[in-house]
Amino acid sequence: MRENEFRLDYFFNLSSDVMCVLNPQFIVTQVNLGFEQVLGFSLSELTGKSVLDYVHPEEKEITTKYLKDSSTSSDSIHFNNRMIAKDGSTKWFKWTVSNPNSSPYIFAVANDYTREQESTNLLIKRNREIAEDRAKTDALLSNIGDGVVGLSDTGVIQYFNESAEELLGYSEEEVINKLFFHTIPTVDEKGSPVDTNQLPIRNAMMTGRSSYARNLQFVKKDGKFLPVAITASTVKYLNTLMGGVVVFRDITKEKEIDRMKTEFISLASHQLRTPLSAMKWFSEMLLDGDIGELTEKQKEIVNNIYKSNERMIDLVNSLLNISRIESGRLMIDPKPTDLKELLTEVLTELKPKLDSKQLKLASTVHDNLGPITIDPKLVRHVYMNLLTNAIKYTPNGGQIIVAISRKGEEILSQVSDSGFGIPKSQQERVFQKFFRADNIKKVETDGTGLGLYLVNQVVAASGGKVWFESEQDKGTTFWFTLPINGSKPKEGEVSIDS
Amino acid sequence: MKKILVIEDETLLLEAIRLKLNAAGYEVDVYSAAKEALAKLQNNELDPSAIWLDYYMGDMNGLEFLSEVKKLDKYKNIPVLVVSNSASEDKITALQSLGVEKYLLKADYKLEEIVNELKQVIEKDGK
Repeated sequence: MRENEFRLDYFFNLSSDVMCVLNPQFIVTQVNLGFEQVLGFSLSELTGKSVLDYVHPEEKEITTKYLKDSSTSSDSIHFNNRMIAKDGSTKWFKWTVSNPNSSPYIFAVANDYTREQESTNLLIKRNREIAEDRAKTDALLSNIGDGVVGLSDTGVIQYFNESAEELLGYSEEEVINKLFFHTIPTVDEKGSPVDTNQLPIRNAMMTGRSSYARNLQFVKKDGKFLPVAITASTVKYLNTLMGGVVVFRDITKEKEIDRMKTEFISLASHQLRTPLSAMKWFSEMLLDGDIGELTEKQKEIVNNIYKSNERMIDLVNSLLNISRIESGRLMIDPKPTDLKELLTEVLTELKPKLDSKQLKLASTVHDNLGPITIDPKLVRHVYMNLLTNAIKYTPNGGQIIVAISRKGEEILSQVSDSGFGIPKSQQERVFQKFFRADNIKKVETDGTGLGLYLVNQVVAASGGKVWFESEQDKGTTFWFTLPINGSKPKEGEVSIDS
Repeated sequence: MKKILVIEDETLLLEAIRLKLNAAGYEVDVYSAAKEALAKLQNNELDPSAIWLDYYMGDMNGLEFLSEVKKLDKYKNIPVLVVSNSASEDKITALQSLGVEKYLLKADYKLEEIVNELKQVIEKDGK
């Protein structure tokens, strides 16, 4: 007897399941170690207390019912409920309760499945969050004014929002699972197909960075072209390319405005040139004494008028050049050109300015350069601008170096000066329209801020690149390249500086 | 004294040109309308040694004017200077094929410089 008792007692306390014996009033008369461990109460704390005291408030009623059922039933009762542990946490118990006919006591065993329940709850919560997020994103995407196209990593359309449908004329069903490149072709401003390598989404997928384009068009379902601003990005997850997103906006209106702006500038500039010429010539006649001699003081004043007028002529010429480039009307007319000769011409024209500031000039040109097929007007403009700047922004007695050399497949030109330099904080704005750095604005009031913008455009149009290095008060060096194979010709209506 | 025929539709500029050419020792016939000048040439009422021509002249452009002038025997080889506000490769080539000596952009040149060009062009002609 004692051996059996010992064994049962041993098992009773070995079990990690919760076990207890309740009297008909549900008072705890005996509990095992498991009960103490799971709920955290000690035997002395539990004995004499109703088991219902440890049941979750919301489940007291139902638990009471189940316990009563056990008394009336000959089978064991199975149910789940929540218990409150000593630390206040909730535990989930799977009970098996039995009140044998032969005894007034209720025997209860429970398995603690709190961990599993918590995992399930978390999963449910996460799923709900995902569903909510999804709903929010869908709502956002369908209401966004921009077209959004989601692509797989192989360029297949997986998502096509409402705006994309409206803008392109296709319904989502019609384009889903089709290849983006084929279904929605991209063309340039003139309507010619764009090389696949130039597509923004291709760029984004190759470089991993967002790619932006403002001068392309999509072909709509009805075959018409839609001018768009496109931003293409890749979708990555843990460094794996998952796909891409193409967001686009209808810029028909913007293009129209751009065109109008350019036409207006062109028109205004032409109209401005006449009175400017008149002022130039009349001032000149006064200064030359054609209508009688002026006093020194009068000459000074008229000279100021003349100089101000020259500045305006400069500005108008620059604006005209800009409007030509931006309107795409600028022609590029490449011819075999001797760069050494071109440079010499420019330097000869600038000699008086160099001399008046006592600037020292050193120039070296690669010996066997040979003629390069580039547009001489455009390249002349670049040398003229860079050298004029070097002269303007270098104090008297300074030094300017010009060098033309061959570097692989490119002709590299360099213009260095020992002048005022460009402050580091402003260097990234140097090629912007109308930008002039603060340090030279005070010293040299004359300047449109358009020269380098034009140089940048012209060099790019000629197939090259331009860049610079500069240190304030030390000097600046500009470099630009031209392809040895020459510039591509471009049809146009006007040439630069005309 | 040599006579210059000047056709320029901007009266402001016409005045400046007249003054300058006079100061340089030339007689000047000024016209702001090309058709009028053309008619006078056709009627032999003028006798210029050279023509100073604008391009856009309101009623006619330089190309049209010159083609008409070149039809007249007397002026088949008259030296012409085109002094205009804008230029384009095509225009210039077309004008040069009609015998235009020089094409100058107004705002780029001092009046003095243009007059010198004119002198050279006239001298070259030997008239």
